[in-house]
Amino acid sequence: MIRFKKKERSLGVAKEKRQYDLPLNKGAGGNFLKVLMGLMTILAIFALSASFALSEMTERWSSGLENKATVEIPAEDNNGNIIEQATLNQTGKDILSFLENHPHIDSAEIMATQDIKDLVSPWLGDDITFENVPLPGIISISFKDKVDINYSALENRLKSFGEHIRLDTHGTWLTDLLKFTGALNFAAILISTLIMITTIVAVAGAVQARMAAYHEELELLHLMGAGDRYIANQLQRYSFIACLQGSAIGAVIGLIFITIIGWALKQKEINLLPDFDLNSLQVTILILLPLFIGLLAMVTARQTVLRVLSKMP
Amino acid sequence: MIKFEHVGLRYGVGPEVLTDVNFTLEPGTFHFLSGPSGAGKTSLMSMLYLGRQPTRGLMTMFGKNVGQLNRHELKLLRQRIGVVFQDFRLLNHMSAFDNIALPLRISGQSEKEIKTNVEELMEWVGLGDHRHMLPNTLSGGQQQRIAVARAVITRPKLLLADEPTGNLDDEIGLRLMNLFDQLHRMGTTVVIASHNTTLIKKFSHHSKLILDNGQARLEKPEKTMKQRLGDMF
Repeated sequence: MIRFKKKERSLGVAKEKRQYDLPLNKGAGGNFLKVLMGLMTILAIFALSASFALSEMTERWSSGLENKATVEIPAEDNNGNIIEQATLNQTGKDILSFLENHPHIDSAEIMATQDIKDLVSPWLGDDITFENVPLPGIISISFKDKVDINYSALENRLKSFGEHIRLDTHGTWLTDLLKFTGALNFAAILISTLIMITTIVAVAGAVQARMAAYHEELELLHLMGAGDRYIANQLQRYSFIACLQGSAIGAVIGLIFITIIGWALKQKEINLLPDFDLNSLQVTILILLPLFIGLLAMVTARQTVLRVLSKMP
Repeated sequence: MIKFEHVGLRYGVGPEVLTDVNFTLEPGTFHFLSGPSGAGKTSLMSMLYLGRQPTRGLMTMFGKNVGQLNRHELKLLRQRIGVVFQDFRLLNHMSAFDNIALPLRISGQSEKEIKTNVEELMEWVGLGDHRHMLPNTLSGGQQQRIAVARAVITRPKLLLADEPTGNLDDEIGLRLMNLFDQLHRMGTTVVIASHNTTLIKKFSHHSKLILDNGQARLEKPEKTMKQRLGDMF
């Protein structure tokens, strides 16, 4: 009597539980879709993280400078003559007194000399002594909330204390900076949108390719009386699972990369660059991204299948 | 049950393969569809299993004008038709059991009902021990029986078979024909496309639908079953 090995006995026997009426788990197409979705998710994680970080940076700068202005009392007048420190101090006190009584101003504070030295020292270098360097006077102002400030009128009033006195509302450079970060943010959102469009096109293409490859099997189901929804359910389930799997792996890889980048930035202590510490909502969005991509793939697959099947008699 | 009135069929802009087909098939009848090669048997069969719509004429099935049915109604009509294809068209990634169960799953039956019905039918067609086997590892005869079981599992009102004995030896072919005969006696309308004249003669108590030059004519049986039994005794 011939004894067959276990492997030989199992030849020709259906091993897996039936999942689909179409042979969707066969062939390399499924893996291609998973890899593609994985890469798309990594890119989406990068783009969204960049967008979140830029939004946070913009928010930080905006809120830090909102309703704030600085009065600068230069150390020299418009003719280039150095103003004596005592005069400078007295002018500062006069302006402070005026500002404290202004109805729209919440608080005003003269910046300490040491703080001014600390502020300018990075520009002048550590080896310079401030004894012979004339330092300007700086007064920080906080305006009251929800007050429409006429900066021009305020500056004109300040100039009555001295023509060389300037009011810096930070508006000019802040606007430019916000425009720049806004453009970067828009680019990140645009990239995310392009990734979503690419996902839709890729899934639709993959589903159409699968339908073309299994045209005979599809026709058979159709002739047996399978409705369009019955067939669409199978392809949409397959697309959802394949894309969710690929996307989940991509999300894990992407999040690892983001964590490494965040850690590296902290090590470098570059204050200007955005912080990559994401809040819980942002982390939730990134974690839910694979589910969103899976659902997007599912809807795309369903619509594609229904559109193709509608051409069958 | 089935009525063709001046039905014509063409593929694209080519000439008509069926020019003026007229016939009526009553419920519960058995017919052989025959004719020379290229007469349009396969085209007519594809119209009968609603794989193709006529390009002209009126085609009525189960009392409904097929040309006026929507997709949902066509789907329900297809579920009442069982088809045995010439090349079986089994799904090779599925077990024999799942192939036979497919029409039941499509019609939304429960898994419990499916298990009972399919196992019973597999025993009946002699494939009880092959339920987990993949079709492409089975013999031609076994595949044929899976295809037949799949076509009859839903107890269709109309059973269509395209050259069902083409790949089989005479003995298995005869057994298969007897199976179709049994189904016919249980009330199913059977249409078998075949050019096997020997086989058709053996079942000469059934009428013939002969296709020639794109037209069809219905020939009454040479002998009724009663006459055949009389000859035998």
